[in-house]
Amino acid sequence: MKLAVTALLACFTAAALCSTRVSATASEISLQLPVIETSQYHRPYVAVWVEDAQQQPVKLIALWVEKPDWLKDLRRFWRKIGRSDTALVDAVSGATQKPGTYKLYWDGKDNQAQPLAAGQYTLLVEAAREQGGRSLVKQAFTLPAQGAVIDIAAQGELGHISAQIR
Amino acid sequence: MLKKTAVLLSSLLISSSLSAHTLWLVPSHYVLSKPDSWISVDASAANMTFVPDKGIALKSLTLYLPDGSAKPVTELYQGKRKSMADVQLAGDGTYRLELANPVRFFTSYEIDGERKRLLANKQARTAQLPTGATKVETVQMRSRNFAYITVNGPTDTVLKLQGQGLELSSNTHPADVVAQEALQFVFSLNGKPQAGVKGVLSFAGELYRNDAGRVEFETGADGVVSFTPAQAGRYLIEASYSAATASDLADKLRESLTYSFEVALP
Repeated sequence: MKLAVTALLACFTAAALCSTRVSATASEISLQLPVIETSQYHRPYVAVWVEDAQQQPVKLIALWVEKPDWLKDLRRFWRKIGRSDTALVDAVSGATQKPGTYKLYWDGKDNQAQPLAAGQYTLLVEAAREQGGRSLVKQAFTLPAQGAVIDIAAQGELGHISAQIR
Repeated sequence: MLKKTAVLLSSLLISSSLSAHTLWLVPSHYVLSKPDSWISVDASAANMTFVPDKGIALKSLTLYLPDGSAKPVTELYQGKRKSMADVQLAGDGTYRLELANPVRFFTSYEIDGERKRLLANKQARTAQLPTGATKVETVQMRSRNFAYITVNGPTDTVLKLQGQGLELSSNTHPADVVAQEALQFVFSLNGKPQAGVKGVLSFAGELYRNDAGRVEFETGADGVVSFTPAQAGRYLIEASYSAATASDLADKLRESLTYSFEVALP
């Protein structure tokens, strides 16, 4: 009981983070950033989002960036979301991350906090590294998903990505 | 007066010798994610796409702001093989960078077996042609060389057709052009789709390919040219339209444009 109260309190202070974590039906996405041996390593810019069957973005799940100058280098993210939805970018963006494994949570709702209609969607992950490469990976899934598994092999700037869509 | 004519004629000769080359403008960036960014622009008259051959005067280089207003570009350098401009893009939206030659009239004629030219239209030429001139023809010429640059969200104001001369439009915004996606351009003359516009599509890197990969095209009645760029990179369209005209000022019309654009990664 005490734990639950703490969780609830935490929700008031960090609503954005918590609303996804508390929900029992949240999808969990595991994302790896690989160790890349190079003389000039900069942490990659990373975007994780969902597009509908018409390739329109419906949900921005995570955005790890630093300076606006280089946001355009996340080419697809920039075209689909970044260049026209500054408020969303500001709301979601967080600091870039070092190599490692990260957990992201998605409550299955769109950017306006509305549940998504049944249908086909695609999870996209894009990474671009200063003086390095750019990778874009994606996998389609359908909603309602009932535990559909997403599994994307490591490729370039991105490590292994797995998710269970609920 | 004589001296002025000589200067005009020599500049005319230069521009005609350059006409074998293709004049292009290439911005360092077509897409930016930070307002107030500077871009540099390379301009050259060249044989290979984006491999510079001759620097050109950029005095008339103009930046059209997202609201449609025009702003001269003043930070210029003319080099031997290419010219350069520094341009700062203050606010969000789509900008048009253009180097244009407004409508000009050239009259050519033959006298004593020699071909000569005058800067005169059909009405003004009568007073200037020497007696005995034959094969007299006046051509109305206009050219535009341009590129679009988008800062943050794209806008459409500078893409709109002006309804004058040869212009190009597309159902895909320049900031949305992506490799492996079908792309369509419509060529218009005085605001209407025009048949018989001839051109060439090329892309950067010709120096390092055996097959330049140039595509020649000619528009049909709908003015449309369609293609699907196979790979991301910088592309160039050069196009022109020539026809006889029944105007009071010219016997022939020649309109031309070059347009450089970026094909982004999918």
